[in-house]
Amino acid sequence: MRAELSARQSALAWLRRLEDALLVLILAAIIGVAAYQVAARNLFDTGLLWGDALVRVLVIWVAMLGAMVASRSDDHIRIDLAARFAPARWRPWLARFANGFTCAVLGVFAWFSLEFVLFEHEDGMIAFGAVPAWLCEAILPLGAAVMCLRYLLHTVAPR
Amino acid sequence: MIWAGLALTLAAALAGAPLIAVLMAAAMLGFLAAGVNLTVVAIEVYRIVDTPLLVALPLFTYAGYVLAEAKTSERLVALVQSLFGWLPSGLAIVGFVACGLFTALTGASGVTIVALGALLLPALLQAGYGERFSLGLVTTSGSLGLLLAPSLPLILYGVIAQQINVGEPFTIVDLFKAGVLPLLLMLACLIAWTLWTRRGAGRLEPSAPRPSIGAALWDARWELPLPAVVLGGIYSGHFAISEAAAVTAVYVTVAETLLYKDLRLRDLPQVAVKAMVMVGGILLILGVALAFTSFLVDAEAPQRLFDFMQARIESPIAFLLLLNILLLALGAMLDIFSALVIMVPLILPVAVGYGIDPVHLGIVFLANMQIGYFTPPVGMNLFIASYRFNKPVLALYAACWPFMLVLLAALLLITYVPWFTLALVR
Repeated sequence: MRAELSARQSALAWLRRLEDALLVLILAAIIGVAAYQVAARNLFDTGLLWGDALVRVLVIWVAMLGAMVASRSDDHIRIDLAARFAPARWRPWLARFANGFTCAVLGVFAWFSLEFVLFEHEDGMIAFGAVPAWLCEAILPLGAAVMCLRYLLHTVAPR
Repeated sequence: MIWAGLALTLAAALAGAPLIAVLMAAAMLGFLAAGVNLTVVAIEVYRIVDTPLLVALPLFTYAGYVLAEAKTSERLVALVQSLFGWLPSGLAIVGFVACGLFTALTGASGVTIVALGALLLPALLQAGYGERFSLGLVTTSGSLGLLLAPSLPLILYGVIAQQINVGEPFTIVDLFKAGVLPLLLMLACLIAWTLWTRRGAGRLEPSAPRPSIGAALWDARWELPLPAVVLGGIYSGHFAISEAAAVTAVYVTVAETLLYKDLRLRDLPQVAVKAMVMVGGILLILGVALAFTSFLVDAEAPQRLFDFMQARIESPIAFLLLLNILLLALGAMLDIFSALVIMVPLILPVAVGYGIDPVHLGIVFLANMQIGYFTPPVGMNLFIASYRFNKPVLALYAACWPFMLVLLAALLLITYVPWFTLALVR
């Protein structure tokens, strides 16, 4: 049991580092490419043909990764009117209900976005350069699945 | 079945489920009821990629977080103080102006209260302002500047409004221009009120030493070009918004790490992660809200809402009054980003039906939300200030309500005299 627990924790720690690193790298890439495009356009009247498309795809990646990181500590924007005014002893149960609901919804979303990505894979569309569209879209099911699992953890083992 | 799902969704929302999940569930239930395959939700969320303007969001947010971590707030207050500190009640005026500028630069995440409030509150108290006045000033000023470029809610309103396409085209730059006079009006009202309440109080301030203009300018030398480049570039049409955002991100990084050395390069990843967590929350909500909006539009919900309203309310003035009341109530309960994505798709088509300019509506909407930030019982800035200054929330209610009345007066003028928003635009 304890070995299993620590394996889970080290897997989570590994995931955390990966997310943080990707987040920083992608933001750096967005800043770098976007700034290069501005400089190239204004100074030399050129620019990367695929630069703007790449930056726009990176933005959705950064958004998904940011949301994944936010779900670690359940740090999302919410409207918690009932939870705010509910008696203290209800709150853990309200939180479990809200987290379970979130887990289920994200699970459904992960499933259907996977279907979307598979359709696109069959179509073989190209996003920009030689990068296929499905690869750009893959962050949707991936991110939703990770968030779904985190909310499962929040539901069964609230902190 | 669908109704049971909606009831469950509503219950989960009230119990504190993240807005992303709530909007996702609502959109999925809607499409399910219409018999559409649910992959459409993923397709709609992915439409974020088709909106070049959204590139500005992570870039400006990152820049704002870097500025908030650096000593920009100290330099800004010193500079504004050297310029306006000599006026009667100068320090209060300094507070309003500095908070407005800082909020515009850093988005509206309560960061102003944390960064500037800590500087201004002790200074105000030391200069002889009452505690209640001082607390009220720093708390209410935390959302001042929301109407000034490049604040995130302003950009978001533009993005959402353009997705809905109500047939009255406008650009984000129009919005940026439209916010200028209303913000000045709010500042003028706040300053006039401050001077009036402190008439006869004498000049208490010489106790607080004022930095010389030259020294303050010199200290701020690396940051001064920033608003000029960004705002000048945007307003003159030289930069697209996302280009200005890229320039800002690079400039701020260089200025704060290499020139001022306020931050070390290895501090940046942590700042970046913090900023992107906020961006992720907002952008994903926006993506899901776009899915929800396209369901609403398919279901002709805005049209039906307009017909319903028109049958009961004839004049645009009455509509605006109702809107003000609704938005103030919403602003006190929802944070600004939730309110934007939920309400704009519903309200904008109705407002345009009443002949209200979408640019005007945007400014009215945000001005309402700005006041909502510190409207009891649950305005977000009340809690941030309570936490930051270690005061009970009730004390902040008492401190903020006079400021709220002043800003409500300004809001009424902004709402019913469209000239304030449209003079610089059309």
